[in-house]
Amino acid sequence: MKLLYSFLKDMRLSFKSFYIYIEIGFALIFVAIMLFVVPENIRPQVTVYAHIDLPESYLSAAEGALSKEGYDITMLSSREEVESEIASHRSSVGLVVSPEGGKIVYDYILQGYESEKFKNVIKASIEGTFVKMAPGFQDVTSVTTIEGDIEKLSTRLNMLPVFLGLNAAFMGLFIIAAYIFLDKEEGTIKAFAVTPAKVWHYLASKMGVMLVTGLLSGLIATVFIAGGKAHYFHLIMLIISLNAFGSALGLFIASFFDTMTKAMGWLYVSIIILAFAAVSYYMPAFSPLVIRILPSYPMLFAFRETLHEVVDLGYVYANVGGFAAAAVVFFLLSNYRFKKTLTV
Amino acid sequence: MIKVEGLYHSYSHDDKYAVRDASFEITRGEVFGFLGPSGAGKSTTQGVLTGLLQLQKGNVSVAGYDVKKPVRKMFNKIGVSFEQSNVYGKLTALENLEFYRKLFDVPTRDAMELLEIVGLDHVANQRAAEFSKGMKHRLTFIRSMINNPEIWFLDEPTTGLDPAIASEIKDIIKREKEKGTTVFLTTHNMFVADELCDRVGFIIDGEIKLIDSPRNLKLQYGEKLVEVDYRKNGGTVREKLSFIDESDRRRLNEIVNTGAIEMMHTKEATLEEIFIKVTGRGLE
Repeated sequence: MKLLYSFLKDMRLSFKSFYIYIEIGFALIFVAIMLFVVPENIRPQVTVYAHIDLPESYLSAAEGALSKEGYDITMLSSREEVESEIASHRSSVGLVVSPEGGKIVYDYILQGYESEKFKNVIKASIEGTFVKMAPGFQDVTSVTTIEGDIEKLSTRLNMLPVFLGLNAAFMGLFIIAAYIFLDKEEGTIKAFAVTPAKVWHYLASKMGVMLVTGLLSGLIATVFIAGGKAHYFHLIMLIISLNAFGSALGLFIASFFDTMTKAMGWLYVSIIILAFAAVSYYMPAFSPLVIRILPSYPMLFAFRETLHEVVDLGYVYANVGGFAAAAVVFFLLSNYRFKKTLTV
Repeated sequence: MIKVEGLYHSYSHDDKYAVRDASFEITRGEVFGFLGPSGAGKSTTQGVLTGLLQLQKGNVSVAGYDVKKPVRKMFNKIGVSFEQSNVYGKLTALENLEFYRKLFDVPTRDAMELLEIVGLDHVANQRAAEFSKGMKHRLTFIRSMINNPEIWFLDEPTTGLDPAIASEIKDIIKREKEKGTTVFLTTHNMFVADELCDRVGFIIDGEIKLIDSPRNLKLQYGEKLVEVDYRKNGGTVREKLSFIDESDRRRLNEIVNTGAIEMMHTKEATLEEIFIKVTGRGLE
């Protein structure tokens, strides 16, 4: 019961200090940006200004083929016009195709900032398109994926796990420490310490507030952005275990310090390090071991799983179990440390 | 109720002791005053006794509980009022007390009744952050009474309060003493100690220099003088006369017999004067 009373008091304080409203407001701002600024799907499209000096029939076929390949193509009547257009559109490329001695010559006009990789991709892609138009061309290329067809999320949905990870799961890491240091500053922690309530009641009630806030902000964002596509039961289980882990880690770090100023550096560094996992999440090709061992790395992919049509339950619940166990360990360590340092 | 033997405490965990070899015993229903200037070790001793600071060396038992092996049940029997007000500013006075009340396993006092005792009932639903320093102090004070403590730790209970409120607080302490509550009072205010305490301990630089009742200390250290103001030749004359000196005693009798006395005061030493005499230092 003492835990319940302590939790209810902390909830009341979080409402009166507007913290909970700030978290909800932040979730709603995220939702607004996702819904009104970020398109459902972002498809990178290269604008090509082209002058193709080939017969009319070939010309329209080339235009159609390049459009089909995803290029935003504008046909122009001279090389000068191409140069003029790409000069005024800094993200575009220029293409001049002309016959010379029975061969087709491709002349690319670029801005100058493009990487070698980009140049090669553009070159291979455009020339490949023209090759496909050659009479009697047969495509014998085959592509095999070792993991089968991995379900792709829309741009919007793909951004949701990062919000859930950094806000619903790990925000407690920073805020819980702030709450404890605020209590130390007000001296209310000493008043609590001279009651029969236990230190773990105090710590767990703070974690409870973080959990409610994390669930609220996480569910608000998910309901608006993913709607019925999310698997809410699995998502809630994930948020609970990850939020508990984040808060317990925050408690553990805070237990080594006596003021927020001293703890801030370490807490900030922890958040930044955990945020690195987002880089590999967006660029799977870059996932060195140092990032893969961060707890935030599997967390992001676990959140993503809950947004797929078919959920890899093994992966999700391995995360739920693992983070819950880690939360218990950090909580016990924090409780042990705070018994000695809470009122010092 | 409280037994302290060879208590040492060092914040830096070395030989720089904030409290050094403190030993004393407080019996049930006694009001024990711990007197000393700021930084003398009063609050550190109280911190160890209330479990806020870890017992590093020595033996301490409070309400029958060994502080070395602290159990949370002990706090059902004790109440602690802090020098610095420490209430939740965002909660109302009533919410503060109601929350605190629920943390105890023993019958507690009615929050409104406590607020009435210190005249805060009219602001019961006002946030504590909006209170004056004195009001916050009164709220902190009554919060420590909520579990009807057997042992009541009071750290500077009247410091910073206006005389009327200070007097009110002293009256409450006296009433609780009459009920049999044991009080451990730390203060640097000698008048409060003199008025409330059965015994006082003088602590300076972490060491207890002396423990005795204010009466015994006055008898032991005070000068046995009487100051008399009397009318003579249309004016007022003041004389200081010793109780011990034979000629002074005769002179005092003469003045009494004239019937012209306007005022007469015994000039026993104050606790502060005794403190200075014993420790060589002042209380401020």
